[in-house]
Amino acid sequence: MNLIREIWQSIVRRDPLSTDKGKSELVFLNVWLHIHPAKVKKENMKFRHTFYLGFITFFLFLILLTTGIALMVYYRPYPAQAYQDMKDLQFAVFMGTFLRNMHRWAAHGMVICVFLHMCRVFYTGSYKKPRQFNWVIGVLLLLLTLSLSFTGYLLPWDQLAYWAITVGTNIGSYAPLIGGQLRELLLGGHSVGEGALIRFYVLHVAVLPAAMILLTIVHFWRVRKDGGLSRPVWKLKGKKEELVVIGAPAVAVPMQASATSKDKTYGLMEVVSGKPIFETVTPEEEEDTVFSYPYAFVREAVVLMATVTTIMTMSLFLNAPLEELANPARTPNPAKAPWYFLGLQELVSHSAFLGGVVAPALMVLALLAIPYLDRNPSRRPGDRKLILWLFTIFVVANLALIIVGTFFRGPGWALVPPWVHVVGGAE
Amino acid sequence: MNRREFFKISWGTVGLAALVSGVGVSLAAVIRFLMPSVFYEPPQSFKIGEPGDFPFGPPTFLVDEKIFVFRDREKGFAVASAVCTHLGCTVAHFSSDQRFHCPCHGSVFAADGSVQHGPAPRALDWFEVTMARDGKLLVNKDKVVPPNYRLMV
Repeated sequence: MNLIREIWQSIVRRDPLSTDKGKSELVFLNVWLHIHPAKVKKENMKFRHTFYLGFITFFLFLILLTTGIALMVYYRPYPAQAYQDMKDLQFAVFMGTFLRNMHRWAAHGMVICVFLHMCRVFYTGSYKKPRQFNWVIGVLLLLLTLSLSFTGYLLPWDQLAYWAITVGTNIGSYAPLIGGQLRELLLGGHSVGEGALIRFYVLHVAVLPAAMILLTIVHFWRVRKDGGLSRPVWKLKGKKEELVVIGAPAVAVPMQASATSKDKTYGLMEVVSGKPIFETVTPEEEEDTVFSYPYAFVREAVVLMATVTTIMTMSLFLNAPLEELANPARTPNPAKAPWYFLGLQELVSHSAFLGGVVAPALMVLALLAIPYLDRNPSRRPGDRKLILWLFTIFVVANLALIIVGTFFRGPGWALVPPWVHVVGGAE
Repeated sequence: MNRREFFKISWGTVGLAALVSGVGVSLAAVIRFLMPSVFYEPPQSFKIGEPGDFPFGPPTFLVDEKIFVFRDREKGFAVASAVCTHLGCTVAHFSSDQRFHCPCHGSVFAADGSVQHGPAPRALDWFEVTMARDGKLLVNKDKVVPPNYRLMV
């Protein structure tokens, strides 16, 4: 028995979890858990503050990593074999369809959740000082998510894949000065062929995931270093300090009620040397803090299980589409990109340079610059009406372009309402 | 400046220059590495067959080469590119209206290849077609010719 205890104690050095010391040590003696604070504020963990969108995105990414590695076992990135391997996954490989479905639906889910997460951070003003740089990292993670989706699309080597990449890399060739070389670099040739397939495969399974993992680590690290989750908007104090009146009404002297609490300048990391750069904790808020174990971990586990269950359930009932084998001679009519690129395709259908290069570049630059251009220190929605309207217009415009591209474009990219059925599209 | 400072600055400059040039050269080498030296792609100049292989009337579409071969009784042979100048989709030739239609973003090209509608920035290319010594038609995609170019056989 002593040996068993010795083995256990060689692995786990913390005190029992029934003690506060044990609960703290569980977090900061463990290399994986210590990205969490030992204690969290209950208010900040409220579902209606973050909707747990960052967690969901991360869990979807974990699903993508695991299913992606599984799919690699049966996939060969050559034009002659790639589509064959898709058919093998569908009909011959045990659980092949299910794994491919999971990979596809998790990818779609990640695009949605990354976008919603960005909206949440914007609407709660959580990109403001000191979190400006983490917003920039977040925008880069959004771009990586879209790049991973795009490179993943070529791999099945079906009609959708082939034409999406043809159009996509041609958009790249409109980039000034480097356009032509950029396209050649991506394709490893002058047209979409085996050189392009292996390059997109390397990007999809090695280069982009590595970048994603590195930036995700920075993103999480900065959440902690910037003072943990932002405070819910409804907990923010108004601009006017509440005044406490001391003395008789005739000789009343106003005193700031918050004066005493400002003396206490430590954050959630308990003891930090120097003046903290983030929101300070008032005594009444400190009472709201609880140990991460079990409060935060249980909530994260529930979100993880809900995410996995949702993706698995979807994958049982909905199959990832697979079109016919890539045929360079016949462009499908209409040739549509996956839904999250249809807004871009709609822009491109008006002008390849303005819609495909200038507009997306400006959008990305605007997103990156938001935390540095928005000088308003207040996070309260009432103080930020204009910028909230501007961002809402940006979101609605993007959604509108996607909806038009998805539902209102028929053969020859003609404007066709979804309720009109086109018989035998112009071929 | 004393001797110690002098060496500190000189060695610092040399070290920095070495680092920057090393990284720069490596980066350039990596980009050059990614640019293939040899393309295993079909040649830009190729034979498409005897003149008699092509009918009069509607153009013949050659799938692998992505070209339309026109043959006219009076005017002779002409070869048009089937690659849309917008984003590289394959256009279709409609005999009903004698025009080229792109399925991706709705560009329409007239019979001479000029843009009539849609986002295409320029006209479809016409390629040089000549007669090879063995009597076969030779198309050269590297040589773009005006739309009125014809080969009489």
